[in-house]
Amino acid sequence: MNTLETILRDKVLLLDGGMGTQIFARKPTVEDYGGAALEGCVDLLTERRPQWIREIHESYFKAGADAVETNTFGANPLVLGDFGLSGMAYELNVQAASLAKEVARSFDRPRFVIGSVGPGTKLITLGHVSYQDLLASYRVQMDGLLDGGADAILIETCQDLGQIKVAVRAAREAMAAKQRRVPIWVQATVETTGTLLVGSDISAVLTSVEPLGLDVLGLNCGTGPDEMHAHLQTLSESSPFFISCLPNAGLPLNVGGQVVYPLAPEPFVQKVLHAASEFGIAILGGCCGTTPDHIRALAPGVEKLNAPKRNPKLERSAASLYQSVALKQEPAPLIVGERTNANGSKKFRDLLAAEDWDGMTALAKEQQREGAHLLDLCVAFVGRDEVRDADELLSRLIPQITLPLMIDSTEFPVIEKALQRSPGKCVINSINFEDGDAKARAILGLCKTYGAAVVALTIDERGMAKTRGQKLEVARRLYALAVGEFGLDPGDLIIDPLTFTLGSGDEEFRGSAIETLEALQLIKAELPGVMTILGVSNVSFGLNPASRHVLNALMLYHGVKHGLDMAIFNASKVIPVAKINPEDRRIVEDLIYDRRAEGYDPLKSLMARFSQRKAAVADDHRADLPVLERLHRGILDGEKQAILADVDEALKDHDPLKLINEVLLGAMKVVGERFGAGEMQLPFVLESAEAMKAAIKRIEPHLPRESNYQKGRILLATVKGDVHDIGKNLVDIILSNNGFEVKNLGIKQPIETILKELEAWPADALGLSGLLVKSTVIMKENLHFMEELGLKVPVILGGAALTRDYVEGDCRRAYMGPVFYAEDAFEGLRQMQALVAGETSAPAPAPAASATGEIKVVHRGGASVPLSVTGQSSWVRQDAPPPKPPFWGVRELSDDSVDLFEFLDEFALIRNRWGFSQGSQSDEAFAAVLRDKAEPQLARWKDRLAAGRLFQPKARYGYFPVRAEGDSLRVFDPVFALQTLTILTFPRQASGRRLCLADFFSAERTDVLALQLVTLGQGAADHAAKLYREDGYGDYFAFHGLATELTEAYAERVHARIRRELGIAARDLAGRALFAQGYQGSRYSYGYPACPDLEGNGQLLDLLQGAAIGVHLSESHQMDPEYTTSALVAWHPQARYFTV
Amino acid sequence: MVKIHFLLEDLLVEAPAGTLLQRVADVAGADITFGCRTGSCGTCRVRVAEGLTNCSEPGPEERDFLKGLDAPADQRLACQVTVQGDVDIEYLGL
Repeated sequence: MNTLETILRDKVLLLDGGMGTQIFARKPTVEDYGGAALEGCVDLLTERRPQWIREIHESYFKAGADAVETNTFGANPLVLGDFGLSGMAYELNVQAASLAKEVARSFDRPRFVIGSVGPGTKLITLGHVSYQDLLASYRVQMDGLLDGGADAILIETCQDLGQIKVAVRAAREAMAAKQRRVPIWVQATVETTGTLLVGSDISAVLTSVEPLGLDVLGLNCGTGPDEMHAHLQTLSESSPFFISCLPNAGLPLNVGGQVVYPLAPEPFVQKVLHAASEFGIAILGGCCGTTPDHIRALAPGVEKLNAPKRNPKLERSAASLYQSVALKQEPAPLIVGERTNANGSKKFRDLLAAEDWDGMTALAKEQQREGAHLLDLCVAFVGRDEVRDADELLSRLIPQITLPLMIDSTEFPVIEKALQRSPGKCVINSINFEDGDAKARAILGLCKTYGAAVVALTIDERGMAKTRGQKLEVARRLYALAVGEFGLDPGDLIIDPLTFTLGSGDEEFRGSAIETLEALQLIKAELPGVMTILGVSNVSFGLNPASRHVLNALMLYHGVKHGLDMAIFNASKVIPVAKINPEDRRIVEDLIYDRRAEGYDPLKSLMARFSQRKAAVADDHRADLPVLERLHRGILDGEKQAILADVDEALKDHDPLKLINEVLLGAMKVVGERFGAGEMQLPFVLESAEAMKAAIKRIEPHLPRESNYQKGRILLATVKGDVHDIGKNLVDIILSNNGFEVKNLGIKQPIETILKELEAWPADALGLSGLLVKSTVIMKENLHFMEELGLKVPVILGGAALTRDYVEGDCRRAYMGPVFYAEDAFEGLRQMQALVAGETSAPAPAPAASATGEIKVVHRGGASVPLSVTGQSSWVRQDAPPPKPPFWGVRELSDDSVDLFEFLDEFALIRNRWGFSQGSQSDEAFAAVLRDKAEPQLARWKDRLAAGRLFQPKARYGYFPVRAEGDSLRVFDPVFALQTLTILTFPRQASGRRLCLADFFSAERTDVLALQLVTLGQGAADHAAKLYREDGYGDYFAFHGLATELTEAYAERVHARIRRELGIAARDLAGRALFAQGYQGSRYSYGYPACPDLEGNGQLLDLLQGAAIGVHLSESHQMDPEYTTSALVAWHPQARYFTV
Repeated sequence: MVKIHFLLEDLLVEAPAGTLLQRVADVAGADITFGCRTGSCGTCRVRVAEGLTNCSEPGPEERDFLKGLDAPADQRLACQVTVQGDVDIEYLGL
């Protein structure tokens, strides 16, 4: 017999299109509904106008659909209740299903009826309806559909993760009661925002419903087929279920007050079939705006499709309302935040006693910021109603927290209430066999009903397992029950082999850490797929805080080495093992591995060693700190808001000048040191500077007149011919917030202007900056010029193309006054501090030899490559014919909605532009910085850019006929092919391959040169200037970096288009590799190694008519506005970057 | 002193152990192109044909960058790696 399940294995199933669209096309009247009060109750039309519904089903079957959906989208008591028809729910479902079955049976081959279950009108996650009421309502609908003969239950158009779980449960319970099993299908609706209405992304949906064991998980409604791609891809890669895809006929348009879905059958079919083969979709159909015509057009294509073959791989995960978090973190371990626990945290207990729900939520959020991956939540407190407390807290917490929850309770009713409140996938903490297996069985039942993972402790009727053998034995029994009997995925069983304190000195527990570590290894080896967890900090109970941190950190470290996947830990107290003092580490490891010796007890040594030490890690009682300490912290943490109150308080009884000089500048000094040591990232430094600026602004009115807290003055400029602002501006920010007076002259400053300013505003030093290689030469020329004038003012040089050798050698030789190299803003600060303190005299130039050190060429084999008769490098082969461009001449692209982020090199942005570098931090700590700081920052900017029109991206690109002539390219007019438009000349390598850009084009026949120019528009440049003026340092810096990379991303996009149009895109690499020239040919910009002279930009802008998109050339041959870039594109396979 | 052999142009250079490969290439005029020189653009990617163990361990930045490209273990960024012993270097930007 052909059942739905067997058919899905053989072919792609075609469903129907929109039902509502068809009903409304019949223009139902008040009379059709049976009264004004019932107008709009579409589900009622099954009873009142059955012929319509029959016709609609028939029309879809005739069009070729294998299955139709019943007219029961809102047919449940809750929705019908709005019309006073709750009592009809069961009957309407029975009627709708049997009517559809009747129609289905009148067709030849097997046709099916899918019972449609809509999302209803109330969102359980937002508290609109209780779990019990929603469950009861769905149960009535499921009973009706099953009794009417539906072949499957389709829980569709889901907007709320919580609702899906309730509906699935109702379906399961109805089937169990009727002993009739049909497949359960779920379809979520992902809005154009990329999430369900309540904010869940598709991974969160998958993680949360996967344990419920569905048959189909797909998408319907919300958007057209194109917008579904990213989500379908996620499902395709990860979902173990069949995928369905029922898009709308495009995104709705409002045409004269009417909602219109724009996709006609032809384009709809094309897009849907494309998605089907791309993502391995098993069930296709349509939603809003699709008609029998769409389905008819789709049928022949679907007929040709084979049943999809996918190889999905699902990471075991937990999920919050919003996102999914893999239980196996790379690098391990997953950190479970332990502070929202009434047993473990006094602060949390006090908040609970005071019923300060917001305070508890804030504590949860704090752990999220500190880098926890999961939150352990325990509200068990003697004398309180734990069920009520869990309900109260979770209802507030869940919408505000992006981390999944670990429900920490052993009480069945508490766990069940918490699971009903949690739309995502939770972890239950915990089960054990202390009193036999009855309780464990009950809780495992909850895991199955609600879809949860579970922590299982190695405790049985004999008590806590202490030896590795006992631990393994209990673990086996836990596995047999949870996986073998209850069918949990092994990855959802998290075994805790227990940790005991080593702090008591109790002989029985001296070897307990070894037993635990060994047990971890045995469990991982013998029970494949299970996860492991430890309450790591138990290991140090009874010791003082300083030694606890070290012992906990090392226990965690060794745990991970033995196979620990997860740890319950205070995320703010994770210290990298590399930072532990080696002697401390030796003693602690001796304690863990119980390496006692005659006269040596590591426990005693540890206690003695740490007796006087304070915990290095900050505690969380900030408010209790003295005000000056709080100010210090405020700067370090960059709290520009919170610091103001502390400033006000401090001003009451502290000298304002002293506050600045001692407290604030002292804190900035620490910031500088941390930055230098690689412990603090640039974005955090900028936050500190913003806090500093805010604090000083607040203090300034209180300063006695005449008082000057400033230490010295510096005049800053970017040199002539260079428009690069950012490095110089960072120096400005750092110096001016470290007590120096800074005058910032801006970019492109000729030395004459700089010196004139210096005369009017005498400074302790002159700071020159520039990014271009050419600027390093200008700097040296400037120094010559100053030398000729007999000046002696100290000069500090900085910029990307400079090297210390060059500054301390060549530059010092050019000028007798002191010349310093500043690798970064803080080195500049140190030099300014030394200068004003009179600690530096003019340093002597480094000997000329230092530029090469002892590096010596021993042998240079092979002569340089000879040039060919045409004057080109013979290394380049001229055998392939040039590709044909789709057009000659120039075209413009101007599309405000172009997705600039598609080609964004996030690595370059985050690591390089934004300065997030790992430095001396541990992998874990840095991963947390990326996750909690860098990635959210990028997400915020995406939102900001989506909200405001800061960018007006425009591009011009085109194809020109060219011919190589020695070092030049002759560019012909695309229309009058004999007329020369211009000649582009490029430098050639002096030796070796002797390459020149012209070599990648033919000298024998007409070749094709592609040119491109992209800009983000004047608005972007204006916005950057505005941020800087307004002291939003962090924002300015972040925006500048992002805009620079998005300009590059846009260029990458246009380049990709050119490759496609030339038919050379086949070698494009996927992912990040594309950004490292992962394509055929190359894209050369003036100012870079292959063509370093910016002058060429003039010819390029002329050819592309850059003025048409507002791009002009500055007198220093740079393009204006700022976020603009141009390039020459070579198609030749050997064309790569090279240096002349 | 260690020996660095640039295979593309058969260029053999001597430098003190611990020298940055970028510096060796710059000073000796090897045919390797550098972009950002901070380990985030990949322009100077090379293959260490011989002597991989004579190279410094990748720092976190280089490691993460190369991981993003799925690069085999013998590929390094010339601007990040220091040479501790003899190596043969093949430039990959070709």
